[in-house]
Amino acid sequence: MSMPSPQFLEPKSHDPAHLGTDPVPAGPYYREDYFALEREAIFKRSWLQVGHVCELPEPGTFVVRTIEAAGASILITRGRDGVIRAFHNVCTHRGTQLVAETGGKQSSFTCRYHAWTFGSDGALRGAPDLERFYIEAKDCGLIKIAIDQCAGLLFVNLDREPKQSLRAFLGPLAAELEMLPVAKATTFSEYVYEIDANWKLTYDNFQENYHLQFIHPRSGKAAGGPENPFGYPTRYGFHGPHRTQTIWTNPKPAIMPIQGFAFGKGLPFIAADGFAQAPHNRTYFALFPNFFLIGTPTQHFSHSVIPICASKSRGVIRLYWIGDDRIASQRFAREYAMATALDIHSEDRAVIEAGQRGLSSGALSHIHFQSQEVLCRHFFHSVDSAVQAYKAERAGSART
Amino acid sequence: MSAPEHSLPPGFGSLEPFVSAWALEGADNRLRARLASREADRVAFFEAAKDLLPRGLDYLDRKPLAEHSDQDKRLMRLLLGMAHVALAVEIQGDDEPRHAEGARHMTITRAPSDD
Repeated sequence: MSMPSPQFLEPKSHDPAHLGTDPVPAGPYYREDYFALEREAIFKRSWLQVGHVCELPEPGTFVVRTIEAAGASILITRGRDGVIRAFHNVCTHRGTQLVAETGGKQSSFTCRYHAWTFGSDGALRGAPDLERFYIEAKDCGLIKIAIDQCAGLLFVNLDREPKQSLRAFLGPLAAELEMLPVAKATTFSEYVYEIDANWKLTYDNFQENYHLQFIHPRSGKAAGGPENPFGYPTRYGFHGPHRTQTIWTNPKPAIMPIQGFAFGKGLPFIAADGFAQAPHNRTYFALFPNFFLIGTPTQHFSHSVIPICASKSRGVIRLYWIGDDRIASQRFAREYAMATALDIHSEDRAVIEAGQRGLSSGALSHIHFQSQEVLCRHFFHSVDSAVQAYKAERAGSART
Repeated sequence: MSAPEHSLPPGFGSLEPFVSAWALEGADNRLRARLASREADRVAFFEAAKDLLPRGLDYLDRKPLAEHSDQDKRLMRLLLGMAHVALAVEIQGDDEPRHAEGARHMTITRAPSDD
């Protein structure tokens, strides 16, 4: 059977040749020792996407996020001064986790152990019998974590002195992200899942289209067509450790009646917000290490794949929206868009877990990526570069 | 428990038999109802609701969401249930039981329609 020529990969300005064509070692996708290195080399020192400014709409609001791979619980607050700050969620008296809730609104946080009380700016406001200590309150504030935002997305960096700013880390992608609906989002839909699979194996599933027609025969029907049966992207981009793809536009997608109706109900609101013809509508961003954001305004979703251990992860998917539901049609369109994305994401879980069982058996020494799985290859290179740099750094400091 | 005889706005009485099963509060509950349902029940609801969906939304769009009556709210929830069921019937078809095995692992934690 003749297949269409691979006309959908024509990377001109970003030649992926430097990534090579060799098989990729399988160990990093299941080995505990490799995951231990990733924790140090990546999750304790990279900018990690953890939320959105719309979750902290006014002074006194807060959220708590757990980053298992860094062993950290993070308290993110908006202070009375309007400033968003991040702290280790740890009482500075004897290390008790300070806040048990996942979010809410309060201007101070009191440790249940000995009632040390902190303000939303992290300062110790008071502690019973403080005069018996051998310290001063001003030296007992919550431990700060670097936090910054781009396009409304909040990123933290657990390195006490991050090696680069968030803007430097994102490079030219920062300006592109700022042009997306997420930058104006005020609310979102969210769904979550847990999966018995390595975070990279899980993440890879969502950056290649090779599997679409096999795993999503019904829900992914609109993604492929006779001239591009696999629905491969029209372009790949490599930006330091990050990568992008430009989604192919199917000229004749097979759309069902209610599906088309629901899509049409959402469009006037997208147009009213000014995103019907936005420049990055077809760009799918993959930000290192574990965050996706799709530019499509009708289904503007982010997807974080959060490692729990070497072979277990958590996925958090959000569809970002501008403004509350105005009328019933918009409410219906948003519900349908969320349920559509959920349908597709849910179909991948079983096969990713099957992949993990196969890899964890140790049967394979290497895995193979074809040219249209180049984003997976680039991801592995980005992760492994960080791991190898960390190992070299550790070896260097051991020698000195 | 069956719904009251006139739980929906006038003109939508033919959907009354589906209210108790499908007009649920909360997006995650609507997803769960879809995933736990039998094919015959999904198809019956889909066939009854598909032609009334545009008229139902036009009717509800006449008022801001905050001004909806209890009947209006019930119709809104029913049409939101239709969003989930339409995906099962129209897109997944006879593949829905297999599809539902994966979807049961997803939890909707927030939706604008929950507010």
